Amino acid sequence: MRRIESQIDTNSPDFKANHAAMSERLEEFHARQHAARFERPQRDIDRLARQNKLGVRERLNLLLDPGTPFLEFSTLAACREYDGAVPGAAVVTGIGIVQGREVAIHANDASVKGGAWYPHTVKKIVRLLDVALENRLPVIHICDSAGGFLPLQHGVFPDRYLGGRVFRNQVKLSQANIPQIAVVGGHCTAGGAYVPTLSDYNIIIEGTGAIFLGGPPLVKAATGEEVGVQELGGAVMHTSVSGTGDYRAATEEQAFSLAREIVSQWTRPPKTIIETAAFEEPYYDPKELYGIIPKDRKTQFDMREVLARIVDGSRFHEYQPDYGTTMVCGFAHIWGYKVGILANNGVLFNDSSLKAAHFMQLCNQNGTPLIFFQNITGYMVGREYEERGIAKDGAKMLMAQGGSVVPKFTVIANASYGAGNYGMCGRAWDARTLFMWPQAEIGVMGADQAANTMADVKIRQLEREGKKLSEEETAAIRDPVLEKFRRDVEAYTSTSELWDDGILDPADTRNALGMSISASLNAPIDDPHYGIFRL
Amino acid sequence: MRRIFQINGEETECWLSHDGNRFILNTPDGAHPCRLDPAGAPGGHVLRTRGRVQDLRLAVGPDATFVHMNGRTYAIGRVDPAERLAGRDGGAADDRIVAPMPGTVVSVNAKPGDHVREGQPLLDIESMKLETSLTAPRDGVVAEIPFAAGDSFGLKATLALLAPEED
Repeated sequence: MRRIESQIDTNSPDFKANHAAMSERLEEFHARQHAARFERPQRDIDRLARQNKLGVRERLNLLLDPGTPFLEFSTLAACREYDGAVPGAAVVTGIGIVQGREVAIHANDASVKGGAWYPHTVKKIVRLLDVALENRLPVIHICDSAGGFLPLQHGVFPDRYLGGRVFRNQVKLSQANIPQIAVVGGHCTAGGAYVPTLSDYNIIIEGTGAIFLGGPPLVKAATGEEVGVQELGGAVMHTSVSGTGDYRAATEEQAFSLAREIVSQWTRPPKTIIETAAFEEPYYDPKELYGIIPKDRKTQFDMREVLARIVDGSRFHEYQPDYGTTMVCGFAHIWGYKVGILANNGVLFNDSSLKAAHFMQLCNQNGTPLIFFQNITGYMVGREYEERGIAKDGAKMLMAQGGSVVPKFTVIANASYGAGNYGMCGRAWDARTLFMWPQAEIGVMGADQAANTMADVKIRQLEREGKKLSEEETAAIRDPVLEKFRRDVEAYTSTSELWDDGILDPADTRNALGMSISASLNAPIDDPHYGIFRL
Repeated sequence: MRRIFQINGEETECWLSHDGNRFILNTPDGAHPCRLDPAGAPGGHVLRTRGRVQDLRLAVGPDATFVHMNGRTYAIGRVDPAERLAGRDGGAADDRIVAPMPGTVVSVNAKPGDHVREGQPLLDIESMKLETSLTAPRDGVVAEIPFAAGDSFGLKATLALLAPEED
């Protein structure tokens, strides 16, 4: 496979200006991520110490194989909700390695609001369990939660993808013969009691772990019975009397070594085999991405330059290089795994849509996973394109993309606007993982376009009422709308709402994709089949 | 598989095959049975071919292999056949820059009579929320730039024209 010949001049003023802008953004991103992971009010840290509990990061250290990567999801979930007071949505999720085996991890962070489930906590857990189901990954739950956050109970409890879905997914995992372990390192109350009880194996830590449908205060209120935590649902009672618990651990350390021992007992189903090549680092330094991504989102850039800093050896076999050139399609390897890549080099036209649909069929036919690099402002509009059937060709692309049986992965590298988000495997289209770069934006349309549309409607309405607006009055209507839209399309809003699996430093993209692909091969790949293409 | 190598600047086509007993090096001047065995020092090998026994040392890099033999070093580079055999001639570059899509001119960076170099930006256009810089397809002289900043244009409109090349 040939190496991409980069045309980038790393000494050019543009490169340096872009590099400076991206470095500034990344500094902010890393600072925010560090705060969400580690910075807590002293009283919460003190409380954990008083309760004789380890923090969630220390627990992960005990559980995971030393020196192995942990692909953490949605580190900044809920960063724009609850006044920023629920960092990471009070839960840590990700894919890690235990006893050499890829597992999905769901761990409550009791240093945030006692590990209470907020609406975004539930969303994050459900997403993790969906990842486990799609990729057939065993799950390790680390339970330590105060329970549902009552003031927001309707955002936590009743709907299809809320609390019940956590337990429903646990049932589906079990049904699909995907094992689960729960380590109970705090209270599992009410619904939370089902996390360990629906797991194949559970371990309760003596003194701190407890499982009950109703805790002591609730029991007192309901029946008048007075009973302590340990008698009601402690480790000794559950492992020797009720059979609700399987293993009793004297310490956190023992609990996690037991969990590791259990994982090592499992049979290892063979992983799906796809084409591979010898591992090769990219020839061009991934950190050069900082100078390639333009500081102004509207500036066009060549996605091949991005691919050259992500794929093995910077090697890329481009498919149909002279047709539908706003859509770059081709084969490459990441971590040695053969992949088919679709990357936007401009607006989607009829020919670029057809090319994408054709290429995806090709990859499904030969079992090659698909990776989408989004920088898409939409499908082309206008009379010429409607007459050529742009909506019909877009539908073909969606039919091929949505009907794909191979694993799909999405990186929102810059713009993700309108139906382009759909065609390029946006969140609704079952990418196994979907990551965003910090400067990227998601919206039905660009912030400027949306704000102008909204403001124009309002201004015309006022004009109909006979009001003539001065320039200042027009600005007073337009500016706040624009500000709101600019914020709404930002990556931080998307990641706060879990429309993605997290924001990535572009230089980490290669490894995040490598881990994602490796994890996806725990599930089989079906034979290709599609719906009806509107030809 | 047929391969192209560059040995000290000279290109040669050859490929290695195996007849079940031994390796055969196929070259433009015929097929030669050969055998390479590691020996002694790091990188040391013994090559047996055409009735000769030859000591040599090998160092393998990502883009080239270095062979040290008889006091000389040969750099053997791999040449990508798809690239090497591609037509060298991309066709004469067009004089016209045609609008890839309908849009608006954001800025014009050259004027008729200007000498421009290949790749030099001539004008920036905006369409579908995306700014694209249109560059000179070859070295030449600008003959015409029909649109000014702020103007709208249709698909395939001529946005810039270079003066015809003189032979």
